Amino acid sequence: MNRSDVLIELDQVNKSFGAFQVLKGISLSVKDGEAVCIIGPSGSGKSTILRCINGLIPIDSGSIRVGTHAVHKMKTEKEMRPLRHQVSMVFQQYNLFPHRTALQNVMMAPIQVLGHDPKEVEVRARRLLAKVRLSEKADSYPGQLSGGQQQRVAIARALAMEPQVILFDEVTAALDPETVKEVLTAIRELVDEGLTCILVTHEMKFAREVADRVCFTDHGRIVESGPPAQIFDAPQDPRTREFLGQVL
Amino acid sequence: MALLVTYADKKRAVQLGIVLAVAAWIGLDAAAGGGEGWARVWARLPILLTGNGSGWPLSGGFALNIFLSLCAMALAALLGTVLGFGMLAKNRLVRVPCFFVMNFLRNSPWLVLLFAMLYIIPFNIRLFGISIAVPAFVKAVIGLALPTAANFAEIIRGAVQSIHSGQWEAARSLGYMPMAIYWRIILPQALRRMIPGWMNLYALLMIATSLATVTGIQDVITTLNTLLAMENERVIVYFYITALFLFFAFCYPLALLARRMEQSVKGDSL
Repeated sequence: MNRSDVLIELDQVNKSFGAFQVLKGISLSVKDGEAVCIIGPSGSGKSTILRCINGLIPIDSGSIRVGTHAVHKMKTEKEMRPLRHQVSMVFQQYNLFPHRTALQNVMMAPIQVLGHDPKEVEVRARRLLAKVRLSEKADSYPGQLSGGQQQRVAIARALAMEPQVILFDEVTAALDPETVKEVLTAIRELVDEGLTCILVTHEMKFAREVADRVCFTDHGRIVESGPPAQIFDAPQDPRTREFLGQVL
Repeated sequence: MALLVTYADKKRAVQLGIVLAVAAWIGLDAAAGGGEGWARVWARLPILLTGNGSGWPLSGGFALNIFLSLCAMALAALLGTVLGFGMLAKNRLVRVPCFFVMNFLRNSPWLVLLFAMLYIIPFNIRLFGISIAVPAFVKAVIGLALPTAANFAEIIRGAVQSIHSGQWEAARSLGYMPMAIYWRIILPQALRRMIPGWMNLYALLMIATSLATVTGIQDVITTLNTLLAMENERVIVYFYITALFLFFAFCYPLALLARRMEQSVKGDSL
């Protein structure tokens, strides 16, 4: 593997919340343009891995590198600003800003944080809303949108930062089966375009289809990782087999 | 046909009952010679309202209570905002003293605070050799503003902390700095939740201005007591009912408006 291709590298990352150790020596590297799915039971540390990658949660030991940024050495929000520009995140609960319209949600951060030209940002925001098929909802407030629509606005908001990586944290977990599809379609397009994605998901079928690599986590460790065909069809670890046996 | 009686129907029936009972009492009382009492109140009403027998210019009475409540609320808003953000500060050295001050003021009886201010604040302040007299009105404003400020601060803190933590996470992940997160994302949402609380607080403060009679200002209660010295004992009750009604008429619409706003704010989180 060519080292210069590696965009994200986690090495022996440990993290505890009080006495509870969530991450026990997580090592993971993600290449530029790769789509990695993280699967595993609840409480296995999947979401925490994502939050550590963009610095929302500080780690106890180990190292995290994203591009040229050494995330584990960053202490203040100000130092993390360039990193946040490079890494966007989409949340399970959408977390749109309810006092702003869909279009404003997408435009806010590029204008207020990155200082981009408002006119140029509006063009970009409308293009992104069209991309997630929500052009006609540009002036609606989040409270007027369905869960699936809100989540697609959140994806457009993440894209508006023009990131190199997007982290998806169980983005379909709060949606009903029908709307899951529209959100997954939007994500699949991004993966096909070659955007680097790390997805925490319970949608096994989707993981098998879009992922270049699947990681199975349990009790704060990556138990097994490999191409989807290997993980889903010929899992090596008994714990992976047990988990997949229950969900598939 | 099944008879459906909803909660709202019952509530309306009870309210109607109360209004009818009050009207009936007034009618019966008037028939028994109470009209004379009301006539006395009517003759004195301009003094009660404005502190002036002819009704103008405003020099006291209920108008002074309103003015006092507005001044105290303005000062409380200023102090309360400082205190509220102090309680939200990350730095313990700021946060802990603010919590202490807030709890102390919030758990003190308003009347005791008023008396305390009356004696703590000197009658004259000497500044650069000039002696400035501190009017009783200023003491009343400060005395009422202190507990109000503490409650004001609690409303700010409660509203800010009621904003879902996901909003912070999302804003941080978009690269916003903490101050910008407050200013652009948290406060615009929290403000809508603060306003009904502040209106309720103002109504409470307005009611509490009646305590300011202890400072000797010519508010409606002081005026009332002066008037009663000249009135027949039998009509005292009519005067007190009138004073009660003045406060009710001023505060109840505020409470109604606050409740309506509370309901419109509900459920728009997330």
